[in-house]
Amino acid sequence: MNRFFKVALALTLVCGLSACANKKGDQYAGIDGDYVLGTPLPDRADGASFFGSSVDRSQFSPIYFSYDGITVTGAELSKLDTVAAAMKKMSSDLIIAGFTDERGTEEYNRGLGERRAQAVRESLIGMGINGSRIQTVSFGMEMPADPASNEAAWAKNRRAEFGIIR
Amino acid sequence: MKNISLYSLFGFVSVILTASIAFGQDTPTITIRKSDSINLALGAISGPEASTISQVLKNDLGISGWFTLGAESGSAFVAGGTSTGGSLRGEVKDRNGSVVLAKTYSGPARSVAHQFADDIVETLTGNPGIADTKIAFVSNRTGKKEIYTADYDGANVKQLTNDGNISVAPALSPDGKKLAYTGYQSGYADIYLIDLTSGARNRIVKFPGTNSGAAFSPDGGRIACTVSRDGNPELYVMGSNGSGPRRLTKTRGVESSPSWSPDGREIVYSSDDGGSSPRLFRISSGGGAGRAISTGFGYSTEPSWSPDGHKIAFSGRSGGFVIAITDLRSGGNRTLGSGEDPVWGANSRHIIFSSGSSLMLLDTVSGRSVPVITGMGKVSEPTWSR
Repeated sequence: MNRFFKVALALTLVCGLSACANKKGDQYAGIDGDYVLGTPLPDRADGASFFGSSVDRSQFSPIYFSYDGITVTGAELSKLDTVAAAMKKMSSDLIIAGFTDERGTEEYNRGLGERRAQAVRESLIGMGINGSRIQTVSFGMEMPADPASNEAAWAKNRRAEFGIIR
Repeated sequence: MKNISLYSLFGFVSVILTASIAFGQDTPTITIRKSDSINLALGAISGPEASTISQVLKNDLGISGWFTLGAESGSAFVAGGTSTGGSLRGEVKDRNGSVVLAKTYSGPARSVAHQFADDIVETLTGNPGIADTKIAFVSNRTGKKEIYTADYDGANVKQLTNDGNISVAPALSPDGKKLAYTGYQSGYADIYLIDLTSGARNRIVKFPGTNSGAAFSPDGGRIACTVSRDGNPELYVMGSNGSGPRRLTKTRGVESSPSWSPDGREIVYSSDDGGSSPRLFRISSGGGAGRAISTGFGYSTEPSWSPDGHKIAFSGRSGGFVIAITDLRSGGNRTLGSGEDPVWGANSRHIIFSSGSSLMLLDTVSGRSVPVITGMGKVSEPTWSR
């Protein structure tokens, strides 16, 4: 009985410590525990596929970016206010999907799309939304909003979209 | 004058070959200048499948760029063989009739021809062959991006994935037995590993965020890739089954497209940290600081480190994209023509790259390129076994 108690106590301590470490966030970054430059992502919500039926993509307008740009500027910022206000009222979590236009090389564009999604996520965190409620994904140049090859289409494709996990 | 240079080349080759035979296992090393070419005749191939073997062998030796193929008279070497169906006895003789290569190969006709071609190249030039290799790439011909494999010359195209989603960024292990790729089946970008022998597939990198762009280390034991779980796309190194992930970089930019140095000690990659366009950097695979590589282009991505360690091929933006090479010894840069996503072959001479609607096989010495994959819609992101 005594032995069982010790094991149970040890397990509780381990679970408690690891949960604490995860919440703290900065312990989650990098294997060596360093804090990196963004806010580490929370564990994924299983089964939440951005283009799947478990995600509602109809609630918010996309954020658009300049060519090769990753910063949210000007009129795009007011769209973020809308998202942040809605997030404060609801309990659902959010997925931000980043996209690029078709110019640029494919693997770099996957990274650039992710960088855009993370830039939007950081902005929302700065507006008081808990980062543990926000996932990111990048589709790079895949899934364009407009498949045409011209300036107007490219401007629509350089974007971050929001999906609410149902 | 022409005869003198041919004879002197022949003499040089003979001396080296003799030395290598006399002193055992040493690989013959011969440096052929751009203008040099070994006169080789394709003699008779007899037996079943002889015509396929002859055709494939001739194509391989032509692509290799090392030979002038001609008649037996005046040739320094003659290659011939006997097929028994399922095997090939290949033989190369010099002009004195001495056998310099004799070996039996087993496998399908195309395979034995490729193996024989590589042995001819290795025996007569000391350079690795590229014929008995596999490529993999992305095609959208089903309406979805899927991964396909083929022989290096574009024969035996097979659809490897049937995910019906987005399957991209394939990477063959150097021995060609495994393939890692980026798939979106989970709704996020994850890295999957397929054992090409058994067909078994495992999801090996599935951190929160985007996981993509795997590259195998030269010994096949590790992969480098991009992982964004820390709140930014960074380079990671881990075991080739996803074990022991370790972050290499820490920046505000996007790190992507890692490629290993031949000794596995360094990785070249692209990063847009500190600017709006990606540039090339090199970093120790054990960690540390990345060092910029001067490429002559403001926008450089998709680097591939040559197996001899001396060159980085990459996609440079100059209006559209071009294939370019930076020589790490001289620091010089060369532009080879339009295209994207170059990957070196085992000989550090040939490159396979995407031109959008086809994959091209380019001889960086002669500048000659031949299409190897065409008519499959948009094809991209080639990878090449060694």
